Amino acid sequence: MLQVYLPVAEISVNLLVMLGLGAAIGFLSGMFGVGGGFLLTPLLMFSGIPPAIAVATGANQIVASSVSGALAQWRRGNIDFRMGLVLTVGGIAGAVAGVFLVGLLNRLGHADVFISLVYVIFLGVIGWLMLAESIRAIWRTRAGKTATIRRPGEHTWIHGLPFKMRFQRSRLYISAIPPLILGVIVGLLASILGAGGGFIIVPAMIYLLRMPTHIVIGTSLFQIIFVTAVTTLLYATMDRSLDVVLALLLVIGGVIGGQFGANAGQRLKGEQLRLLLAIIVIAVALRLLIGLIVSPADLYSLAPVVAGP
Amino acid sequence: MMQHPLVPAFAALLLLLGLQAVAADAPRPEQVQSDISTREISIQSNFTGVEIVLFGSIDFSKAPSPDEGPYDVIMVIRGPNRPIVVRRKERIAGLWMNAASETFSSVPGFYAVLASRPFRAIASEDTLKPLGIGFSNLDFGNADEGEAADDGFRASLIRLQTEHGLFQESDDAIGFIGRSLFRGSVDLPVNVPIGRYTTQVFLFRDGKLLSKSQSSLQVHKVGFERVVYMLAFHFPFTYGLLAVLIAMSAGLLAWTAFRRE
Repeated sequence: MLQVYLPVAEISVNLLVMLGLGAAIGFLSGMFGVGGGFLLTPLLMFSGIPPAIAVATGANQIVASSVSGALAQWRRGNIDFRMGLVLTVGGIAGAVAGVFLVGLLNRLGHADVFISLVYVIFLGVIGWLMLAESIRAIWRTRAGKTATIRRPGEHTWIHGLPFKMRFQRSRLYISAIPPLILGVIVGLLASILGAGGGFIIVPAMIYLLRMPTHIVIGTSLFQIIFVTAVTTLLYATMDRSLDVVLALLLVIGGVIGGQFGANAGQRLKGEQLRLLLAIIVIAVALRLLIGLIVSPADLYSLAPVVAGP
Repeated sequence: MMQHPLVPAFAALLLLLGLQAVAADAPRPEQVQSDISTREISIQSNFTGVEIVLFGSIDFSKAPSPDEGPYDVIMVIRGPNRPIVVRRKERIAGLWMNAASETFSSVPGFYAVLASRPFRAIASEDTLKPLGIGFSNLDFGNADEGEAADDGFRASLIRLQTEHGLFQESDDAIGFIGRSLFRGSVDLPVNVPIGRYTTQVFLFRDGKLLSKSQSSLQVHKVGFERVVYMLAFHFPFTYGLLAVLIAMSAGLLAWTAFRRE
């Protein structure tokens, strides 16, 4: 029934299941305003796609969603191109390192565990922080207090670094080093996780770089396009782990799901949304953790011998 | 004494005729002929596996009836070899991860044995081994250095390939239709590797190999599947670039179609 053979993954999948998976991720990303890549890759792994292929294909899917997201933000003037460029330069360097690392581990047979482990740590920490924060926010609004917001513009150690650049749109005059390093970290994570890394870069831009919140989303989407594009290209060239048929199904599903998600998201309150997302994130992290610690049904596995680059 | 020049030639002719008469009286050796239902298998995106039929006949069959023939037939279908690494998980620091591994340099991508009755009863192991009949008689190439003595890897390789439908041993899979006609069928699963396959048909009687016949078939991808496969494995940079461009245009298309401004 509507089975599609994935030429690179070398498995047969159900067309509707993969479209549905893309739609579900698109729905969540439209609803929560997040990229969704950090949920897509684990879900692909759960449905039997080899982790290395899930990561490469996930990165390709994010290229599509970040292009449409960045275009919408660009129309509202919410992209700091200068900052985006600095982040992209760092991001590409990080992506190259990440792809090399995953490729090396894949040839040694450790990519599966490594990808799962990085996911467990990141999703676990972020899910937990989001859960705590959203519960506190819900409790605060019930108690009738207003949230205290930290004001941007305060001076920190970051302002003492050299190579200062003026970022007009962000109204910042800071060193290029912190955004460059931030870019490297996000590029590294994005390439290892097959995600955009928005869940790392957005808080970092707000709290570390003190960028205005409305500029942060657009700028991060802008740099995600290039980081995931480079990641996709590198995985395709070096590891042969990109499955374009799977990516296409996910992109189509994602576009459709995204439209419904955006509407659904407007009917829920911010802290309720964050609580819901936190629960999903923690559930995925737990499922991955179980996969790592429960005795596998089969100790042996086969893999084709992959030649080095 | 002078001999007539025609005498030796005449003697030779007599001898030849006599020999021929003997040959006509003696039973002629059985010969096996075989072919495959399909010489080419094309994999398209809707490919879900295919059944191929191998058939053949025994020339100069001496079987009195289809049911009580003295013959046994074994068919072997082999796909192209490729190197495969077998890994074994171990619990390290509480996590299950791949630890020991063994690489086999030439594992057939597909291997099936069909027989007219349990093939180990047809001929002795000494006869089957050089012919590569049966999983235990397969040579996967020398395993690379390491614990070569560990049989678990080889056994697991066979077990996993069997679970994937890529290794098959089926007794009683060949049926005789007349005194000399026989046929057998084999399922190629969805994940069959592409390349040239060889089929060998062996004819046995009383545990002795009488005759064999060989043919081949080609499994290849066609249409969209072929384009994707070629790009992904032979022009990976172009493939990656196309994937990125497709995703970018999809994003652009989604934005223009659903913009809310």
